[in-house]
Amino acid sequence: MSSEKIFSIFLIAFASISLLIVTGIVISLIVNSYPIFLMDSLSFIFKSVWNPVKEDYGILPALLGTLITSAIAISISTPLAISLAVFSTEILPMRFREFINNISDLMASLPSVIYGLWGLYVLAPILYQYVMIPLHQYLGFIPLFSTKPIPTNLFTAGVLLAIMIVPFASSVIREAYSAVPYYLKEAAYSLGMTKWEVIKTMLGYIKSAIFAGIFLALGRAMGETMAVAMVVGNTFTLPKSLFDMGYTISSLIANQFPNAEAYNHMIPALYGGAFILFIVGLTMNLAGLYWIKKVMSKG
Amino acid sequence: MRTSTKLVITIVVIAVLISIFMLSSWHTPTQQPITTYTATITSTPTTVPLSGMINGAGASFLNPQMQAWASRFYEITGGRIQINYQSIGSGAGQAKFKEGILDFAGSDPPLKSDIYNEFKGKGGIIQFPVIIGTIVVVHNIPNVESGKLRLTGEVVAKIYMGEIVYWDDPAIKVLNPELNLPHEKVIAVHRSDGSGTTRVFTAYLSKVSETWRSKVGSDFTVAWPVDEIGNGVGAKGNEGVSAAVQQNPYSIGYIETAYAYSAGLKIALLRNADGNYVLPTKEAVASAAKALVKVLPRAYEDWSHIFPDETVDPPGRESYPLTSFSFVILRQVYEDPVKNAILKEFFEWVLTEGQKPENIVEGYEPLPPEVAVIGLDGLKLLRTG
Repeated sequence: MSSEKIFSIFLIAFASISLLIVTGIVISLIVNSYPIFLMDSLSFIFKSVWNPVKEDYGILPALLGTLITSAIAISISTPLAISLAVFSTEILPMRFREFINNISDLMASLPSVIYGLWGLYVLAPILYQYVMIPLHQYLGFIPLFSTKPIPTNLFTAGVLLAIMIVPFASSVIREAYSAVPYYLKEAAYSLGMTKWEVIKTMLGYIKSAIFAGIFLALGRAMGETMAVAMVVGNTFTLPKSLFDMGYTISSLIANQFPNAEAYNHMIPALYGGAFILFIVGLTMNLAGLYWIKKVMSKG
Repeated sequence: MRTSTKLVITIVVIAVLISIFMLSSWHTPTQQPITTYTATITSTPTTVPLSGMINGAGASFLNPQMQAWASRFYEITGGRIQINYQSIGSGAGQAKFKEGILDFAGSDPPLKSDIYNEFKGKGGIIQFPVIIGTIVVVHNIPNVESGKLRLTGEVVAKIYMGEIVYWDDPAIKVLNPELNLPHEKVIAVHRSDGSGTTRVFTAYLSKVSETWRSKVGSDFTVAWPVDEIGNGVGAKGNEGVSAAVQQNPYSIGYIETAYAYSAGLKIALLRNADGNYVLPTKEAVASAAKALVKVLPRAYEDWSHIFPDETVDPPGRESYPLTSFSFVILRQVYEDPVKNAILKEFFEWVLTEGQKPENIVEGYEPLPPEVAVIGLDGLKLLRTG
């Protein structure tokens, strides 16, 4: 057999292994979670209760918490990630670029428990003192800031997630940005564009990569467990404002799984939460893909 | 062949080997212990000392003490006997014990009655306390020092029910006439992860408050009413509770005593069943344990209805209300005589030598001899199937 052939056989083998693993995960999610849907049907998604004493479970507060913290994280991290990518490839002197990029990549690889500890002991008190209290005092009439804050809440979790995911989004955008053909940039300058106009054009050119980076980051934000569990407040109630404490599906699983085996229905309930998280993530990615396609076809 | 192809093949072979290894080790737990049990009789001419390894898992509360016992026992047996203990939580420990994966389980509450009954037909189990732990109610009121604030179980229950909202509530003021309590909201910190500490704490609240018993109950995790009004905070682990109490002025929390001391948290006095305000001193814990001896079952009996629901808040002038045991659970029948003998030898040591001050980790209290004897009697029931 020629080495080319062997090589392609291995490629097929490994590709199908990763496909099998993903299918396996989906199947095990369904198999393990169907008892809870059998018991509670869809009310499992719309109930706000986590009561192991009565074995009554509903995931709504955690689902909302996941969506809220991810939304905060994405809206803060997107401009930061784009700015960081442009800054490090366009503005920064060549000899510092490597340094900044390495730092950014290092941030992406830090274990999340470190972010959690830092978030709990450093970030939360600072946000509380200098952001949440002023916002609540002066803008408390806006429902978003109406709750009298305490340091650990959905907002803190969202900001911490934003900080955690910037390096992810930024590195995807950075790679795409530096892969734009050089003649494009030269052409732009030769037309007499200013630096800002050139950057705008370049960013328009890599729109799809920007979306890809943001969706990658969103996935990470929705799935983050440890760091969120440490700063989100972990109360199973429906949030009424950003400063309310809450839960996310991932942090609920991290908190409750170790002792879940002591109950009859908690494991299916946690798998049910994971399954819903999977569906939400999938829907968002599909919507994102569809949107990118639309944007790209418009040019 | 080119070197690149060779490289690819080598990588593939390694990957396949690794995955086969992982798959096979993934299959084992259902059939046999996680780590295969190796019992070899080392042949020394006169006596025949046993050697081998036993595997336990469960309560994280028990973990530091169990590790200390295990390493001490490993030393004094000259490395003959190795005890593995993994901190996976009481609930998981009981579940894995039920599946037969573990040689013994460590648990804060005793075995649940359904699992107990299941084992009845299979030769039965024994369960016995191995160590005493205490839980303290801590607070973070800036101008009140540790050991000054007086609380009763009813008041604590009302705080976690969300019925007492401010520190200057008449119900708290009447207990603390000499303290200047602020008109600030009480932030009630509780565990967010399932925990034996919560199980004992909520058993206490259920015992002293009828409302708590009927509306909330007691478990590893409960639905905290105080969360509904936005004054509750959930925190993961004792470390998390400790951090949450420190960061939130005017908060209250419950935590294992050792953590409260190491974090320098302010401890509240609790009113005991006899009406005295006590801290978890050695004397208060010993007094509580003594009072409990009368109500404690035998090792082979079902403890689930007694502990912790009946054992919290024991009588006695000095007794500390939140005194709790950590349990070890064994099967009565082990097919392997060597394993049987090792378990007996180790836990007999734990209940005698292991209770001496030099073998007790800081933050735990040793069992009084009257309680240790429950386990020692129980161990006599161990037999080979």
